[in-house]
Amino acid sequence: MTLALSGLCKTYSGRHGPVVRAVIDLDLDVAAGEIVALLGSSGCGKTSTLRMIAGFERVSEGTITLAGRRIETLAPHLRGVSMAFEGYALYPPLSIAENIGFGLRQSRRFPSREAVMARVAEIAEMLEIGDLLARRPSQLSGGQQQRVSLARALVRDADLHLLDEPMGQLEPQLRAVLRGRVKAALKSAGATAVLVTHDQTEANAMADRIAVMEAGVLQQCGPGSVLREAPANLFVATFIGEPPMNALPALVVPSGLRPLCAEEVTIALPAVPLPAPGSRVVFGVRPHHLDLGAGALRGTVISQQWLGDQAHVVIEFAGHILVAVSHARVSVRIGETIPFGFAETHVHIFDGENGRALAHGVMPA
Amino acid sequence: MSAREGLVVRRIAVSYGRNHLLRGIDFAIAPGETLVLFGPSGTGKTVLLRAIAGLEPAARGEVWIDGRDVSALGPEARATGMAFQNFALYPHMSARENIRSPLAARGVGKAETEQKIAKIAELLRIQHVLDHAPRELSNGQKQRTALARALVGEPRILLLDDPLRNVDAKLRYEMRLELPRLLRAAGAATIYVTQDYREAMALGDRVAILLDGVIRQIDTPEAIYDRPATIAIARLFGDPPINLFPLRPQVGAGGAGMEIGGLALPMAEDESGEGRVLGLRPETITLHREGLSGAVRATLIAITPLHERVVLLLRLASGEEMVASVTGAPPEPGSDVWITADGARALLFDAASGMRIAAGPVREMVA
Amino acid sequence: MARSDVRAAGLPRFLRAFALVLVLIFFLFPIAWIFLMSFQSNEQILRIPPHLLFTPTLMNYRALISGKLITAAGSLDLPFMRNLGNSALLSAASVALSLLLGVPAAYAFARFRFRLGENIAFTLLSFRFAPPLLVLLPLSLYFQELGLANTYVGLIWVYQLICLPLILWIVRSYFEDLSPDVEYAYRVDGHSWWRAFTRIAIPLAGPGIAAAGLLAFIFAWNNFVFALILASADKQPVTVGALAFVTASGIQYGQIAAAIVLSILPTLALALYAQRWLVEGLSLGAVKG
Repeated sequence: MTLALSGLCKTYSGRHGPVVRAVIDLDLDVAAGEIVALLGSSGCGKTSTLRMIAGFERVSEGTITLAGRRIETLAPHLRGVSMAFEGYALYPPLSIAENIGFGLRQSRRFPSREAVMARVAEIAEMLEIGDLLARRPSQLSGGQQQRVSLARALVRDADLHLLDEPMGQLEPQLRAVLRGRVKAALKSAGATAVLVTHDQTEANAMADRIAVMEAGVLQQCGPGSVLREAPANLFVATFIGEPPMNALPALVVPSGLRPLCAEEVTIALPAVPLPAPGSRVVFGVRPHHLDLGAGALRGTVISQQWLGDQAHVVIEFAGHILVAVSHARVSVRIGETIPFGFAETHVHIFDGENGRALAHGVMPA
Repeated sequence: MSAREGLVVRRIAVSYGRNHLLRGIDFAIAPGETLVLFGPSGTGKTVLLRAIAGLEPAARGEVWIDGRDVSALGPEARATGMAFQNFALYPHMSARENIRSPLAARGVGKAETEQKIAKIAELLRIQHVLDHAPRELSNGQKQRTALARALVGEPRILLLDDPLRNVDAKLRYEMRLELPRLLRAAGAATIYVTQDYREAMALGDRVAILLDGVIRQIDTPEAIYDRPATIAIARLFGDPPINLFPLRPQVGAGGAGMEIGGLALPMAEDESGEGRVLGLRPETITLHREGLSGAVRATLIAITPLHERVVLLLRLASGEEMVASVTGAPPEPGSDVWITADGARALLFDAASGMRIAAGPVREMVA
Repeated sequence: MARSDVRAAGLPRFLRAFALVLVLIFFLFPIAWIFLMSFQSNEQILRIPPHLLFTPTLMNYRALISGKLITAAGSLDLPFMRNLGNSALLSAASVALSLLLGVPAAYAFARFRFRLGENIAFTLLSFRFAPPLLVLLPLSLYFQELGLANTYVGLIWVYQLICLPLILWIVRSYFEDLSPDVEYAYRVDGHSWWRAFTRIAIPLAGPGIAAAGLLAFIFAWNNFVFALILASADKQPVTVGALAFVTASGIQYGQIAAAIVLSILPTLALALYAQRWLVEGLSLGAVKG
């Protein structure tokens, strides 16, 4: 029961506008029982991809294989997928229970009405809409409707579950709770799912692997830890992680790196495999790897924010803004010049031209 | 009170028929100060902003701006600047014309207008898109244009209705760093609405918690995080949310105390623990790999990465579940760990009223 | 990217094109035929079988424009151009009045909740329910009393029964689709509610207003019964004036065809002109936030 996208393209040839290449040559495999998140900002092609898998959008080029059969030309209802819609798409005249149970009527697994209703009640309870089953969609808030749409997708016995921003309208507290529950439910059912989201917290919390997309192109696909520790390029490096990675353009010199903004500074990185001297690179350090109070560099504190469990300190270094995260309180004053630095193991080096990753910290020999 | 600078709001109430959305809101904001209005959706945060701006016909109560009662004035006469969640740009006007609107309304001269637009556009880094129509702007640019429009008229009162909600995470973070400087430069009394507690802590000089139609707590962000007035507020502030345990009183060798699954907490002398709920923030729980004296054994059930921290779901021997948030590499799921909690940062609530008890567990936890 | 293209069960391209052509012929053939007829004499038209090849004549148009209808039974005075003028005047004035009254009313119904608001809006719509003839009998009596019978003012007034509900309901739904936040933002900027209405609400509802105005114009233009009963010859629009073509010596098909072509022209021109507005409005998009 595996999903395979191969050379998938979506091109919109607008009559009133230019040709838009929404998805470009996408290859992606999803193993049986795996949850993969398509992550990216709006317009990156993640929703177009999902809609092509669901069959709501024609495939311009490439193939989609699900559970061993080619499905890209099949009508949506023949593909064996279920989908939770960002825009809810509930049936207004039906009650919430009927909305959720709609897809189960034809299922052989639920021969009786009672069996359907029991299953509906179970899933509604999980999503905390158990007390709303008798109502109609128009009587529900946006967040509640979204949970109904999610319930309707999860309740079905599909080869593949497609979830399009399934929690965008929920409150942060509820979202945090439901992420865990939905993941556990999918896992215990052994279900395969593709989740579309722009929220990396959601992607990290729910997915086994995350596929980062930008401008229609798949940038990198891997577990969250790999994306954080070994991003394939500068885009992924600065997209994944909150706060985003600090990145400074620099020149490789024989003794290390020289930031372009501070010619007098040389950062020695003896153990990091750097490209040849004279190359332009971008070096990145994650905010929580920036050590304040010790190190060879000097910066001015311009702001400090304490968030309850962590402090974000913003320092200005030769006209660049850098962010440092500390998990304990730090005593620095605004306007103060402080030393800072970072361990060699936490440096990421990217090509200055195309942003491709060249080295992540100290590479094994 | 009435001669006071900035914004003063008195007994604001809004009812739609039998639905009493706001039931008497009072607060004051000094010029240059940012008050974050925080609460779950549907509590009337936006309605309160509208009432202050003069856009809510159902609003009762008084709004004073710089010592002047503006309650009877229309929105155009209140000298407020406002940014909306959905940006609310005028789709048929260019970004420049959008930003010009507040100046045009007050008949500012042509040269001065162009100079002010140039200045605010530079500050928000949108000079290059000033002649674009809103539909040609990215979400980040739309949001900056909307902010520029709110700021350009140098309003005395600035009302920002969750302006970062519809921009992506990276932009949101950048704006979170940039906004305090912008707001300080504007010098207006600012109300900032958000549902994100980190945004509230980063941007607010003070935070007002709006729950059930009233302001339940108004204080500095740190005070709200460390000393929330009620259980509900404690749950709203913090991600992952605070762990809550109903207490069983217990008398031990060191006087009164309480315990959760073997994790003992010393108590203040006069506190029995009867009818109390203990709150432990996930980051106050520390993990140990080997049996440390006083530490309690727990099983690690699940691991979820959350930014640079890791959220652990733990099950104590007594069956209670607890969430811890730690830094560094966690052990494998399924393995046993030993935990301690920082008693000084534990919170004690009355179970019936939900109110925090000022004298919580005061003594340091077991070492 | 909201365009969804679920294919209609994989119909081959040439079959789809063929179906399209069939539909086009079905709808456009009568119009094309009438256009051809308008350049033929009555004898040519009535020939069986009809010929596609003929020597075009402008006599039908000449007769209409000069107002002299030459039939087998002699010549007949025909105030067609006056009728056309009446149609244009009545329709344009009615739509203008309806827009003037209807657009602010539609805005009020969309934005403000007031007592009996829904009831008033529904009452206005219900004017469209009553069979016009039933309304007309008492109305014509009142008009005699008031001296409004056979006046332009009276006819324009009655035409509001057609135009006003249409404009009110279409434009109202357009206003309801606009986020009030955009107007709120303009008010907070320091503009009066009147300016917010004229500078923000009206331009943004422009396509809706154009569509409603166009529809109302077509309905008014095509109206027959009101003018038949309430107006005499000199105030009659083309729809009523066309009765004159049924003469003692037979039906003047050529002139009827020419009259139809002439009376279609103004609405067609208006539709083509308004189309620009409609499309522009649609591409403005993103108004709903």
